[in-house]
Amino acid sequence: MNGDNHADLLQPPSNVEHAVSERTASHYTPLPTYRLPKGEHRHYQQQYADMYFARLAQLKPAVEQIASEAWADFEIGGETASRKDRVLDVREGELCWIAGTLYMEMPLKPNVLEDIGKEHWIAAPPPRVKYDTGGGLGGDSERGAHAGGGKGLAGAQIMLEDESGRLRLTGGYLSGGLLVTGAIVAVMGTENSDGDFEVLDLRVPDLPRQPSRWETEDGEAALQGKSVTTKRPISGKVAIISGLGVSGVEGDTLLLDLLLEYLLGESADPASQEQAASISRLIIAGNSLSHSSPIPSREELAAAAKKGGRKTYGYDSASYNAAPTDHLDQWLATLLPSIPITLLPGEQDPTSTSLPQQPIHAAMFPHSRAYMNPPTGPEGPGWFDSTTNPAEFSADGWRFLGTGGQPVDDVYKYLPDCEERLEMMEAMLRWRLTAPTAPTAPDTLWCYPFQDGDQFVMKECPHVFLVGNQPKFETAVVEGPLGQQVRVLAVPRFKETGELVLLDCETLVPEVVRFEVFDEG
Amino acid sequence: MAQDYAEWLAINVLNEQQLVSYRSLSRALKVHSNLAKQMLYDFHHKQNAKKPGTVHATYLITGIKRTERPATNGTHSQRDGEDTVMQSSPLLPSSSALKPGEHDDETPNAVQTVMLVKQESLELAKAKFESITGIHIYSLQAKGLGDIQSLTECNRKIAVDYASEDPLEVWKQYGTIQNPDVKRRTQRRQPPPPPAPVAKAAVAKAKPPVPTAKPTTLKKEGSKDSEEAGPASNTSAKAPTEPARKPPTNKRQSSDIFKSFAKGKPKTKTEQESQDSAGSTPKAAPDDEPIAGFSDEEDADEGDADIIEEAPKAVDGKSKKEREAELQAMMEQEDEVMEDAAGVEPDHAEADVDEGAIDKPDPQAEEPKEIVQVESGRRRGRRRVMKKKTVKDEDGYLVTKEEATWESFSEDEPAPKRIKVPTTTSMSKSTTAAPGKKGAKPGGGNIMSFFSKK
Repeated sequence: MNGDNHADLLQPPSNVEHAVSERTASHYTPLPTYRLPKGEHRHYQQQYADMYFARLAQLKPAVEQIASEAWADFEIGGETASRKDRVLDVREGELCWIAGTLYMEMPLKPNVLEDIGKEHWIAAPPPRVKYDTGGGLGGDSERGAHAGGGKGLAGAQIMLEDESGRLRLTGGYLSGGLLVTGAIVAVMGTENSDGDFEVLDLRVPDLPRQPSRWETEDGEAALQGKSVTTKRPISGKVAIISGLGVSGVEGDTLLLDLLLEYLLGESADPASQEQAASISRLIIAGNSLSHSSPIPSREELAAAAKKGGRKTYGYDSASYNAAPTDHLDQWLATLLPSIPITLLPGEQDPTSTSLPQQPIHAAMFPHSRAYMNPPTGPEGPGWFDSTTNPAEFSADGWRFLGTGGQPVDDVYKYLPDCEERLEMMEAMLRWRLTAPTAPTAPDTLWCYPFQDGDQFVMKECPHVFLVGNQPKFETAVVEGPLGQQVRVLAVPRFKETGELVLLDCETLVPEVVRFEVFDEG
Repeated sequence: MAQDYAEWLAINVLNEQQLVSYRSLSRALKVHSNLAKQMLYDFHHKQNAKKPGTVHATYLITGIKRTERPATNGTHSQRDGEDTVMQSSPLLPSSSALKPGEHDDETPNAVQTVMLVKQESLELAKAKFESITGIHIYSLQAKGLGDIQSLTECNRKIAVDYASEDPLEVWKQYGTIQNPDVKRRTQRRQPPPPPAPVAKAAVAKAKPPVPTAKPTTLKKEGSKDSEEAGPASNTSAKAPTEPARKPPTNKRQSSDIFKSFAKGKPKTKTEQESQDSAGSTPKAAPDDEPIAGFSDEEDADEGDADIIEEAPKAVDGKSKKEREAELQAMMEQEDEVMEDAAGVEPDHAEADVDEGAIDKPDPQAEEPKEIVQVESGRRRGRRRVMKKKTVKDEDGYLVTKEEATWESFSEDEPAPKRIKVPTTTSMSKSTTAAPGKKGAKPGGGNIMSFFSKK
């Protein structure tokens, strides 16, 4: 089992020259899809409703096309489904289909009006595991069986809304589905005597067009008049990690050190070092710091109030602890000379809390700043790219879409029985509403009120969809109607699991490297 | 070379009882990391052969760990999701159907594990692995390792001790993976060396992203940065001297006042400052002379030799700007009186120092003035405000003084800007009028800033 070759390093030093490897190059093009305009150009005047309308306008054609294809031949009792333009045009007893936005009314969902009534200060609402009242919180129901019909959605009302009005949806079909507020769907059915629409079938916009590999780079080159290179070097791997959770507490940073040394190619045996040299880029998907969000959670505020300290309005600079950012900065600065890094902020990182989170500012990284692009300099990809959350970029030709996990976490809260995060991610892709707010923004996930169009509508299908800060590593390939294939990755929190995900950029197959400290206990 | 490492390790591990990791060894002896690992092994082996139990090691094992979970579910490859366990998939009929069974198939993709283990548990750990690709020694220590987390200390020390090395140049010898594409821009200002936590707050505060037109600011950074390991008093003792640099740079007041004040200043101050300065790194060396000189000026301004000593205690509450302002206030008070003292000859070392300081008057000249900027209807900037300050006298008496200090202010947010959206609000029109009026007198005298303050 243990061959002798692994004991190379367990011997006295000889005169063998130790090789120094070179890292595989990384081709990287960040896309500014989620960057908000800076400073005074960022407006908060507009209403959030506009966002919904924009989203509907963008996705309605797509979903209608799919629906009409699917239901063109559908017949029940000799009646074919006809398309209705407006939700309110539905007549009782008539089989038809309509498209609109889903809205779920759930009793436990945070209600902004209640919040304003209760609280006087701004604080994050208490986290809830699920918004549903109770029905099927996974206790007794067997896997996936929504046996009680609407039991899982007890207390919830589902409605379909478009520019004209709202229509309540019912039917056994709904209990089996992944439904969240904000998804654009087409439903087919008929109106019953209560005035509710009974759903027989449902369609979603599904995956949009997927660009081919290297399309971004080729397109850019074409725009700039350069010749398109047909030969591309072999790509290496991309390391993805999330949830580093650097806090000021020193007791738990050993895993970070192990990771650092592995990536630098210093630790482990030469074979592993060679493998590490093929890692061309590190992507950090959120929550690099713990408890660094500028908005204190409700618990923190309660604790502070209990301590009886004077109420500090605004920011109390004396309580700032620079240790976590300093530690993170040192860690990054040690890695940067050897490997380029893309950093996505997460829920607990010091940046805006509403999606899309803007990049963590360079001022937080005095050491690593040298590797970033100067703020007024040319807009090329920086070696150290602090980017938005969610982020879209093209690495090694593949289009990546990454988020720090908030959208999926929010969708998770909506679905009563579903624990399968991969399913949710797949659903998000099919709704074409991945990023930000996943569909649930702006309803339960804070976000920026987009005016011109919902930036969260996915225009092009990515090749890799990665979501950080998930409880465990999961992956799958989602297939689309036009032959698109998306690799979905749920990246676990490093702080808890010590796992690093390596994605091979030639095959898009991920693998996991786990770092741990042996526990004798 | 062969003897060096044995010696070095003997000193550090056995004599000094330190924790030595392969990285620390490679940095200290400037060798490749893999070579360092072998050196550690050799040392460990030999020492324990001589006297067992003298040196303890931790090992790093890489390999494929045995998975405990049985992956027995069959593979589903059909695309339709109609009749599967997950009833949620029918909602997405075109999905490639992620069935629960498939998850197990996907996950045991050869989980490679990198495990750190103490030597006592080495065999146990090895047993957990299905196949091992490599083992090497991670660190050595004289006694058994109590808390394995203390190994982070090694990397931390490396960061501190070798902070001056340029990674792009020297790390090649350590065997770090090189990257030919790395882009780094040269920074005008050096990033702060890993400072002690106490001084860190001071450094963080003193770091505005200011363009290099302010060389004195740079030097201040330098002097502040240099206080890494110094005692807190070092930090504070230097800080009061910095504002002293500002007043002399104002041409009007320049050498006149200082010449008059500079007479017969206690040389003790100079000594104290030079002692403090001596403790700092070479970065502050060019600052020593001006600092030594300015401490005298500051004494002159304060008129009390002991204030310097008290100032460190009170300095925590003060900001740099407040101290500048204090001195500025003193300066301006004295201005009228000392106008005619221009004839006084400078004949001490302070003269040189003054000249040196005056060379950089311009960047500082704007500091004392009240700066008010108007930006998008919002007035903000610096202004003078009277504040009370209580200090302890040399006899232990509390003396309350009222003095002018600088503080930055900004008005409340002006009325929101209008955008093309037809959501007109006549309210916004009226509110723009009010701050607009106030903003109409930018840079107005103190009176205006008084009124705009809420």
